[in-house]
Amino acid sequence: MTPSVIPGGSALRLLARDWRGGELGVLLAALVIAVAVVTGISAFTARLQGALAQESHRFLAADLVVEASQPLPAAWLERAAERGLDAARVLTFTSMVSAGDEAMALGAVKAVSGAYPLRGELTASSEPFGAATGRAGGPEPGTLWLDSRLFALLGIEPGASVEVGEARFTVTAAVRTEPDRGASFLGLGPRVLLHVDDIPATGVVQPGSRVRYRQLFAGDPAAVAAFRDWLDGELAPGQRLLSVEEGQPGVASALDRAERFLLLAGSLGVLLAAVAIALAARRFCARHADYVAIMKSLGATSGYVGRLYGGSFALLGLAATAAGCLAGLLLQGLAFDLLSARLPFDPGPAGWRPWFVGGITALVCLGCFAWPPLWRLAGASPLRVLRRDLPLDSGRGLLDYGLGLAAVSGLMAWYSRDLALTGAVLAGLALTVAAGGGAAALLLRGGRLAGMRAGSIWRLALASLQRRGAGNALQVVMFAIAIMLLLLLTLVRSSLIDSWRAQLPPEAPDHFILNIAPEEVAAVEQRLRADGIAAEGLYPMIRGRVMAVNGEPLPTDGDGDGPRQREANFTWSATPPPGNELLAGSWWDVDSDAAVVSLEEEFAERLGAGTGDRLELRIGARALTVTVTSLRAVDWESMRPNFFMIFPPRLLADYPATFMTSFHLGSDKAFLNRLLREFPTVSVIEMDMVLSQLRSIVGQVSAAIELVLAIILLAGALVLVAGVQASVDSRLQESALLRSLGARRGLVLGGLAIEFAALGLFAGILATLGAELSAWVLQTRVLDMAYRPTPWLWPLGLAGSALLIAALGVWGCRRVVNTPPLAVLREETG
Amino acid sequence: MITARALRKRVPVAGGELEILKGIDLEIKSGETVAIIGASGSGKSTLLGLLAGLDLASDGSIEIGDVALGRLDEDGRALLRAREIGFVFQSFQLLPALTALENVMLPLELRGDGEAAERAGRYLERVGLGERAGHYPRQLSGGEQQRVAIARAFAAEPRILFADEPTGNLDTATGERIVELLFALNREEGTTLVLVTHDEGLAARCERRLRMTAGELEEA
Repeated sequence: MTPSVIPGGSALRLLARDWRGGELGVLLAALVIAVAVVTGISAFTARLQGALAQESHRFLAADLVVEASQPLPAAWLERAAERGLDAARVLTFTSMVSAGDEAMALGAVKAVSGAYPLRGELTASSEPFGAATGRAGGPEPGTLWLDSRLFALLGIEPGASVEVGEARFTVTAAVRTEPDRGASFLGLGPRVLLHVDDIPATGVVQPGSRVRYRQLFAGDPAAVAAFRDWLDGELAPGQRLLSVEEGQPGVASALDRAERFLLLAGSLGVLLAAVAIALAARRFCARHADYVAIMKSLGATSGYVGRLYGGSFALLGLAATAAGCLAGLLLQGLAFDLLSARLPFDPGPAGWRPWFVGGITALVCLGCFAWPPLWRLAGASPLRVLRRDLPLDSGRGLLDYGLGLAAVSGLMAWYSRDLALTGAVLAGLALTVAAGGGAAALLLRGGRLAGMRAGSIWRLALASLQRRGAGNALQVVMFAIAIMLLLLLTLVRSSLIDSWRAQLPPEAPDHFILNIAPEEVAAVEQRLRADGIAAEGLYPMIRGRVMAVNGEPLPTDGDGDGPRQREANFTWSATPPPGNELLAGSWWDVDSDAAVVSLEEEFAERLGAGTGDRLELRIGARALTVTVTSLRAVDWESMRPNFFMIFPPRLLADYPATFMTSFHLGSDKAFLNRLLREFPTVSVIEMDMVLSQLRSIVGQVSAAIELVLAIILLAGALVLVAGVQASVDSRLQESALLRSLGARRGLVLGGLAIEFAALGLFAGILATLGAELSAWVLQTRVLDMAYRPTPWLWPLGLAGSALLIAALGVWGCRRVVNTPPLAVLREETG
Repeated sequence: MITARALRKRVPVAGGELEILKGIDLEIKSGETVAIIGASGSGKSTLLGLLAGLDLASDGSIEIGDVALGRLDEDGRALLRAREIGFVFQSFQLLPALTALENVMLPLELRGDGEAAERAGRYLERVGLGERAGHYPRQLSGGEQQRVAIARAFAAEPRILFADEPTGNLDTATGERIVELLFALNREEGTTLVLVTHDEGLAARCERRLRMTAGELEEA
């Protein structure tokens, strides 16, 4: 017996038959690709974010760091161990290092426990400035590693013995890089690395000593997060958790932008997918209206039709979700395979969220984009069996669009977890749609008038454009949305990657020289010139401390970023240094000796000071009161000497200053030895390794962004295909008619090409406008970047869009000329 | 069987309303065969749509048996159609994704017939398409498609059969064979047949002929 056609498990059979009849292909493909894109990007970004976070943890040497100026409770280490976390201890302080009676130098001592570093790599070389190799841990008890330049300063070789406080150590290596050394060199002396167990023997850490204590933790992300929550509640004043931003502001901002871009891309993926599904569902329902009318004429009720199609859509959703998740999994797996050569780190696990996002996306897309036309389908009049030209529903209205908009906004906000980002994209979109609908209608009408005087292909094409006026306006808007999002993404990606590259040009300064005595300035400049090294210019540097703001003394040890006494490097300058932008107030006259200061904006914010406020400073033993006359934005990511506080040159002329500069050295490390032999008291800071780390991250992130862009392009292409498909049915009819009237294939295809190219051109105009506008909002408001107009976008957007849509249109409608006209006309009547 | 009183149908058009049916009174007895003839656009198909409950009248009433169509909602009328009414259309109206057999089964299953397949198979045999049961509409000729539609119409054993230009899309010879089949089955089943056509020859085979002229109906 043949199983039941309709009731019971009929939805499945309906699906199977529709599939057989070729009705479901587009909708299913749209759903599968939607879920695949969303899941794939979600999993990809989750894994990449995990990997990048892991990478960024290198700059903390741990996943979590707590710091204080008092010893930290040992119980925390035990709690961490109970939770299965690795832990390490670090102490930093300044102390004299001596080799014999004569040779002494001030060193930045760092005492580390055996497990240090928990993340990242500690490198050392057996000779000063020698080849650096990774080490599994720090020095053994009884030994220490010295900064390369200390060897010259102390006049010793590896294997010599040195004293720190009351303890004697054997120097076994030159310490080259520490993962958590960071880019800041406030008060940074040459490094002395030793084991934390040796600290008691040195006797240098006494109550009241200026020591920073750190505990480092690392382990399973969930356990770290749980421990962090617990630790948050335990922190006493003066104890604080460190984040990546403090370790490496340059890396943090690069990662932050990259993450925002990936989320933007993902959100656009959601949006494109939704549009594709809406188009496909509308087409499905338009094609099914006649079948529903037949079923109803045979006695099927609306509820029955609704249940039947609802059931089959639910089944479709399940199948699409499963297939989409699988495809997404393969997609991101493939992405990582392709990238593996460029990604030196292990992509982390994706977690459950991508699959959840995929499932919810399928549900929301079906519910908010596929359901409205389906619901109208259930209400189709049975009278269509007699009068096929009946409109499906007159009430296709605001409600649908409102539902769609709400769904898209909700999905994007949920997916990106960023309201500003969602708002920027939706605003651009709304403008495109609003301007688009009206403009498209006008342009199409204008085209018809022009076409009246043109040849037959043109007349045919333009008449066809105008006749489907409302449908075409909608199609133009759909095309425009897809193209706009693709252009936007390309724009933002280009400027993002360009801005990274601009920040880190190959000739960026990679070394700093500090502590240049005033009398050495000329000689150091001479040495640099003699070796053909271009330096950034020499800046004076004076150590000072901000004691009070407007007469209010600042606390000596405040919490986190709040106002507290801060030590800073002061400099003087007659003019604002390059890379500094004046945000408020005004700069002083070149020869001013007024008691004024210019503050870096974030430093001013942390102090709680603005223009007009009075700051009481202490420089050495002397006090100085100055008025803030300007605030500056400083490009910290440039490797130039930058300063929180800048004074007029004549004001600080009497204070003891040293000088600093930065320069690009490249691989000529021998120069450093020559320099230090000639000027043993200057300090050299090597930034080249940090820079190459930063470059490698930027390279990885750029590659990831390119890949995500490629995936989104796929989703955009799907929207275009679905958009073309939406009009294939009616075009099929017309062309069959034209061909039966004797029109050649060339005429029909030519007409189609012109028609779609015109649609593409209109869409391109709208899309380019919308993309430019959204890029402006995104770059200036969301990504904190400078906006530059992109004239090249216009020819690309317009010509590209016209060509692409024409090609897709002709390809999508190729059936129009390849199917015998009789078959089409009979399909219509049969 | 079918009673229509003061039936009017108006549709909105640009600048006002168009009255398609202008107060039609009609009574069709059980088992009667009635042809409604008239020129294109005279309103015959509109009347058929109203009588079958596919659309609602602007004024007036229709009763099928004891049931007033105006008191039923869309779903109520659908259930009535499932129970009482069969259709044959000019453009066949087969579901392209279903085989010939499945198309015939459709109305049977809609009214919950547990032996839909057997019954559908029998009716396909009766219209001479037993061998083609597994074929899809696109694999059948126009005449064959209309035979499937006739099998579908009679399989549900409706009390009333509405036919809208059943030979309109067929050549003369095929059309004649379809008409033979339609009337033969109608005789065997004792169905009330209401047929809309502008083919005078086809109309002549009905017991009663009604002529529709500009929205008004009169006995021909």
